[in-house]
Amino acid sequence: MISILYSLTFFGHHMPWKAAYLLTYVGAILLIALPLMLAVAMIIYADRKIWAAMALRRGPNVVGPFGLLQSFADGLKVFLQETIIPAATNKGLFLLAPIITFTVALIVWAVVPFGPGLVVADINVGLLYVLAASSIGVYGVIISGWSSNSKYPFYSAMRAAAQMVSYEVSIGFVLLCVVLFAGTFNLSGIVLAQKGHGLGLINAFGVNPLLFPMAAVFFISSLAETARPPFDLTEAESELVAGYQTEYSSMSFALFWLGEYANVILMCGLNAILFWGGWLPPLNWAPLYLVPGIIWFLIKIWCFFFLFSWVKATVPRYRYDQLMRLGWKIFLPLSLIFIALVSGWLMVSGRIGGGV
Amino acid sequence: MSYLDSLALTAPELILSLGATFLMLVAAWGGDKATRTISWGAVALFAAAGASLAGPAGHGGSAFFGLYTADAFGAFAKSLIYLAAAICVIIAPRWFEVNERNRAEYPVLILLAATGMGMMVSATDLLTLYVGLELNSLASYVLASMAQKDGRAAEAGLKYFVLGALASGILLYGISLLYGFTGSTHYVDIAHEMGGSAGMGALFGMVFVLAGLSFKVSAVPFHMWTPDVYEGAPTPVTCLFASAPKVAAMALLVRVSMVALGPATHQWQQIIAFAALASIILGAAGAIGQTNIKRLLAYSSINNVGFMLIGLAAGTREGVAAVLFYLTVYVVTVLGSFLAVLQLRDRQGKPVEAIAALAGLSQSRKGLAAALAVFMFSLAGIPPLFGFWPKLLVFQAAIDAHLLPLAIIGFVASVIGAFYYIKIVKIMYFDDAADMISPDNGLVERWTMALAAMLLVVGYVLIPWLGAASAQATGALF
Amino acid sequence: MIALAAFYLFASVMIAAAAFTILSRNPVHSVLWLILAFFNAAGLMVLAGAEFVAMLLVIVYVGAVAVLFLFVVMMLNIDLAEVRSGFTRYGLFGAAIAAVLATEVVVADEAWHSGALMLGARQAVTPDNMPNIQALGALLYTRYLYVFEGAGLVLLVAMIGAIVLTHRERSGVRPQKIGDQVKRRPSEAVRIVSDQPVGAGVEL
Repeated sequence: MISILYSLTFFGHHMPWKAAYLLTYVGAILLIALPLMLAVAMIIYADRKIWAAMALRRGPNVVGPFGLLQSFADGLKVFLQETIIPAATNKGLFLLAPIITFTVALIVWAVVPFGPGLVVADINVGLLYVLAASSIGVYGVIISGWSSNSKYPFYSAMRAAAQMVSYEVSIGFVLLCVVLFAGTFNLSGIVLAQKGHGLGLINAFGVNPLLFPMAAVFFISSLAETARPPFDLTEAESELVAGYQTEYSSMSFALFWLGEYANVILMCGLNAILFWGGWLPPLNWAPLYLVPGIIWFLIKIWCFFFLFSWVKATVPRYRYDQLMRLGWKIFLPLSLIFIALVSGWLMVSGRIGGGV
Repeated sequence: MSYLDSLALTAPELILSLGATFLMLVAAWGGDKATRTISWGAVALFAAAGASLAGPAGHGGSAFFGLYTADAFGAFAKSLIYLAAAICVIIAPRWFEVNERNRAEYPVLILLAATGMGMMVSATDLLTLYVGLELNSLASYVLASMAQKDGRAAEAGLKYFVLGALASGILLYGISLLYGFTGSTHYVDIAHEMGGSAGMGALFGMVFVLAGLSFKVSAVPFHMWTPDVYEGAPTPVTCLFASAPKVAAMALLVRVSMVALGPATHQWQQIIAFAALASIILGAAGAIGQTNIKRLLAYSSINNVGFMLIGLAAGTREGVAAVLFYLTVYVVTVLGSFLAVLQLRDRQGKPVEAIAALAGLSQSRKGLAAALAVFMFSLAGIPPLFGFWPKLLVFQAAIDAHLLPLAIIGFVASVIGAFYYIKIVKIMYFDDAADMISPDNGLVERWTMALAAMLLVVGYVLIPWLGAASAQATGALF
Repeated sequence: MIALAAFYLFASVMIAAAAFTILSRNPVHSVLWLILAFFNAAGLMVLAGAEFVAMLLVIVYVGAVAVLFLFVVMMLNIDLAEVRSGFTRYGLFGAAIAAVLATEVVVADEAWHSGALMLGARQAVTPDNMPNIQALGALLYTRYLYVFEGAGLVLLVAMIGAIVLTHRERSGVRPQKIGDQVKRRPSEAVRIVSDQPVGAGVEL
């Protein structure tokens, strides 16, 4: 992506190359960030529609055709409100928290490949970058909870800290299984490694019997990592009002909202990239490659988002001890066992390790 | 060198660590009911590890690209460590059954601590040194607070942990300075650079490394944790702290000083000499006012470490041999003393630690009193007993190395130190009976203690053999 | 040039953040400054060409260790007045130590000029074309295998220790048994009472 954009700016305007380079990056970032915001708006609408359909309701249907503009109306309303900062808050941190959440949700997209070569930063530790950035995301929640100086946000922050750290452990191990198979931490490399992985026909790690359970674990962990139902204990409205967002209003509230949904889309994208072939077509069949990779990728993201929404509409919320039990007593041992199985299988089949 | 050869050279650590992992699984499924089985399993592992020292692991040379060296010096220290650790495993169940839960993790932690100690004495690279030290220390912190019902144990564990972490930090800082200024973490390469152009920076690193290690041997001025930890930790654990890790840390200190810092002998000699004198004097003076026998033994161990450091300060072959000789006798004495302390119980079977309760012990428990007297006289270095001989060797080495003032001050301080050892004997034999100690029927403790006491009385017949062994072990360093 | 500027940026921000970690009066702020320091350390690692270490620094220290710090510190209710009274008591002592350390830094600086500092002399040189992660793995699993496994044992001890020191057998608790819940069938759990006459009441 960078190289394409770069050649466009460079040859079009005869700029000094450093300025062109800078402009290219800014352009690439905007090219991702702006559609992402649009996608967030639409995906919130989709979420509400799916949820409504499962509850036999109509959902948003007033603003615009089929209620399509509902999110924009909500956005406008929120942006026009006054930002209220409660007197007892720690002001600097209170304002910093939503910014952290929002920024972190955006920066991860830098390494996500949308198609062959369509990636802002094609770094060789891409997967680790994703882990690193998503582990920073928890600070938005913790800081907002603490700086609000109010008990419900504080409880929420405590829960968020424990929950995200717990599930990151098993996510890390799951990712290791994928990396062992792909032989690289580079996300594009991981996508390419899935070409014809299923009997030369299916472009997905997920069909491998050694990786399918890990795909399931990763899907559930990504629900927990984004604090989506049934793991939305950080904002369990029956217990904690609105959790860490309780004291927030207006713009700062909207930033949380945008960041959260951007994270949800990101997790859907990661599910697609790591286990279901990313921008590759589902089948390794030449005519399917005529469709641009980004279309396949968006379709896959959409499918995963539907799953997220489906779960949200149908599964009751976990209790806190059940959440911890699932993370530490089931996912952690399971993913550890699979690391041993996967690396053992790869050793036996001679795919890795040249012998001592 | 292939990995298999390297593995053969590290056989004792392999046996202990794999065995510990297996016993941990037994403990996980068997629970506290399996403790006795696990204890005997641990003792068997110590025996096997000790036996493996007879093979290539005892003299095979360098392994794993120079990170580890299997030589006679390491083998000597390891056999002492394994012996002491095994005894501490054997004596534990009786104490824990009376006072606490008899936890199945105790022998496993001791096995892992001993693995770390083995790594320490065989380390010929600062990385191995640090990892071994940390393995041993971390297990020790947990062991120190094993007694959950006793608030003092929690205090001991916490103090030990915080100060130990600080010492580790100092040590690491020193290691990074040494690495930075010499460009290597290998002892031999460091020595090469120290002899050449390493300059002041490396000396700075050396000072920090020595400071970190003096914490581990509890030499003054890094001794302050010792009395509290010895008092608070469960008695079998205190017994371990006073014996095995001391050997490991002292052997480590000797190897680092002689091999890695050999060319800078004149620089570290002053530091070690100061630590030695300060330990002897403070150990003797601090012990006088104590009312708790475990605290008293803690000060006694500080005092004894001072004497060992005199041997190291000499910086000669004889000096190092004397340190090894001293360590052997010290371990026997200190194990015996703690076995005696373990037998001090009141009518309810609860342990007694007050020195005042020893009054008139010579009437109620003749054997115990006699054994304790032997240990005390030996720690004081009163001539007929074996504890006298290593002190003599150490002073001899110091005088040969032209450190006459050091030897004289040390000698005077040892006379002062004798005061409190003799005070214990006086309380047992000449004070009115307090009649607080009940008869005890711990067969293992009693016979092991008796054996230790016998060794100290008739040990002189062992001098040729022990002297030859320590000389041979020392030979591996020069 | 840019690398140099970035180095000074990361290094100076890191030192400043470290200073604020100590100077900040609110412990939560201290932890947040510490996190900033970790970040800049990661930046320095990237500059040094060790991007794997940089990512691990962020994942492990920022993502896990500092979160737990914050977790604990947030729950502390530290009375700042009390802390300051301690400051006056130990202030003199602290100042003495600070003076000693400052002298040491000066001396160490002199020492640094006098001694031979060999940054280029690495113990294990890695080939240029090898990715960071592979190079690290190749060293850890061959040359430093022994200490690597030793470090593994250290972690094992830490885990055993944490469990030994905190795990208590509690009696009289009735934990949730998910298997039993799933196995339960409607026939055992529900009794149909609809054939009873209206108004007769139900037996509870």
